[in-house]
Amino acid sequence: MSPMLTIAKREFRSYFDAPLAYVVMCLSFLALGFMFFMLRGGFWQVDRASVQKVFEYTPWGLSLLVIPVVTMRLIAEERRSGTLEMLITLPVKDSDVIAGKYLGALGLVLVLVLGTLLYPLAMFKAPWHLGPLDLGPVWSGYLGLVLFSAASVAVGLLISSFVESQAVAFFLTFAALGTLWFLDDLAEVSGQGMIANALRYVSFQTRLSGFWRGLIDTRDVIYFLSVTAIALVVSFRALERRKWA
Amino acid sequence: MATDVMIQASGVTKRFGHVRALDKVSFEVKRGEVVGFLGPNGAGKSTTMRILTCYIAPSSGTARVHGHDVFDEPLAVRQKIGYLPQRAPLYTDMNVWEYLKFAAEIRGLDDSTFRKRLSKVVEVCGLAQSLGKEIGTLSHGYRQRVGLGQALIHDPPILILDEPTSDLDPNEKAEVLRYIKEIGKDRTILLSTHNLAEVEESCARAIIVSKGRVVADGPLDSIRNKTGRVRYVVTIDEKNAEMGKRAPSAAEAQNAFGAISGMRSSRELPTDETAHKIELIGPQDTDLRAEIFRLVVTKGWTLLELRRDAQSLDAVFRDLTKGDERLDRGDAWAAAHAPTDEDDEDEEEEDVASPKGATADDEDEEEDEDDEDSDDDAEEEAPKPAARKG
Repeated sequence: MSPMLTIAKREFRSYFDAPLAYVVMCLSFLALGFMFFMLRGGFWQVDRASVQKVFEYTPWGLSLLVIPVVTMRLIAEERRSGTLEMLITLPVKDSDVIAGKYLGALGLVLVLVLGTLLYPLAMFKAPWHLGPLDLGPVWSGYLGLVLFSAASVAVGLLISSFVESQAVAFFLTFAALGTLWFLDDLAEVSGQGMIANALRYVSFQTRLSGFWRGLIDTRDVIYFLSVTAIALVVSFRALERRKWA
Repeated sequence: MATDVMIQASGVTKRFGHVRALDKVSFEVKRGEVVGFLGPNGAGKSTTMRILTCYIAPSSGTARVHGHDVFDEPLAVRQKIGYLPQRAPLYTDMNVWEYLKFAAEIRGLDDSTFRKRLSKVVEVCGLAQSLGKEIGTLSHGYRQRVGLGQALIHDPPILILDEPTSDLDPNEKAEVLRYIKEIGKDRTILLSTHNLAEVEESCARAIIVSKGRVVADGPLDSIRNKTGRVRYVVTIDEKNAEMGKRAPSAAEAQNAFGAISGMRSSRELPTDETAHKIELIGPQDTDLRAEIFRLVVTKGWTLLELRRDAQSLDAVFRDLTKGDERLDRGDAWAAAHAPTDEDDEDEEEEDVASPKGATADDEDEEEDEDDEDSDDDAEEEAPKPAARKG
């Protein structure tokens, strides 16, 4: 197994050694269930065979809770405890460290995202049959969620690689992802014009909304992939910086 | 590249901002040598080791490990070394077996090799009882062993150990040193410490660094001789004497020995026997043991012990690294804190903890953390003056 995958595997497994991952997963599933079925009438009020609300609410939980928690320790904690030195002085490339940690964290987030598949499966396949589900928007919705998760985890990793404290990493990631998400609402307030357009251009929410409706726009795909790539490269540079500091 | 020089540093300089942590450090370590890398806290030991393990890059100069340049071929270098950073930072949420397996996997060991190496490592490091235990629950001594095990898992020709014995109790220290001796039989080891007794116990050669410079490099004996003094220890019975003569008082004996021509100083050492133990310092080129013996016979004292050795490494160390912090703190500090000689020497051991002064805060942060931990060790060597850091 390549060093990168070994690191990814260790990272992924270590989430399950601590109660934190379980707590976060349970909480986010509970919250999602509540929002989906209860909030403002929820699914029943929509009165359509659609799970669009899953895609609308899941990114909230991911941005504001799950991803900050999952990524906060990636590099910050290792740097603080000194294990980073131990890890890097093994025969691994810095890029293996970044990619391995990224994949480990993304793996956990995707487990959670795929967990939400229970909604369409249970509601429209078995045991319940609440109506004919249009599968197109479900697939595109999940594609959007995966892309969104990829970009958000990369942003979290980037922040974690710059700070030394988990708590600081958590709040910065929380703020950064929250901002990227709610820029769309800010654009609503600021009306039309350049600023609103610019805000919409970078907002994760605007970028995702197409996917909910079954619309896969290559610009949105490219956008999420670019954010991911840039964040990973900058994290790599941040890790390399120790050599010269 | 087939060579007998396993580690070679030439003109390695490392600057952190405007602070020079290493200043043209050059040394070589040959195949099969166990070398003590010695220096006060903050002298640049860890920095050197981090450069050798390609964790950080030198500002200038080159270093080669097993023939590979640390800058150009970091992966090749890391394949050849086993490294134990200071305080053995391990993943505390893994158990010992998982951790060793993780290190082995990253190093690309296949399963059967891993199993073979594991049994050897477990035997050498005494880990049989703790393989299934979570690292977070282990004592420092055991973590250190796991760290050593991790460094040995791929059977590397070169081991770099950064203060492997700090934080350990005396038993654990002795254990770890025993492992090092054991594994040093067929490996090249560079071992850093600020505890001199350890070097005397486990290394044949020492490199002493101070303020980022190599101040001494050579076999322990030649380093000891560096200051050109020889130490004698004489023990005289304090109750009984020969042929009806009277046993001397401590002061009497001390003065008598001090009067021997060529003797530079004499002082009483603490002892729990009913005897006076006196330490004498003489010049290196002559042997004064005969003089001492004759004096004792003339006086009719009962000689219990007479020993001559080169000056203790401790004293050499202090001599070589002296003045470090006086420079740092400036003359004002020296003037205010130069009451007695003895006091000064104690400070020497302790205060080098922050040798680069306030200007070095940035890069010293890490090192300083380490220093807090190693205070325990330092305490054994010298009583700590109160409130020295205030």
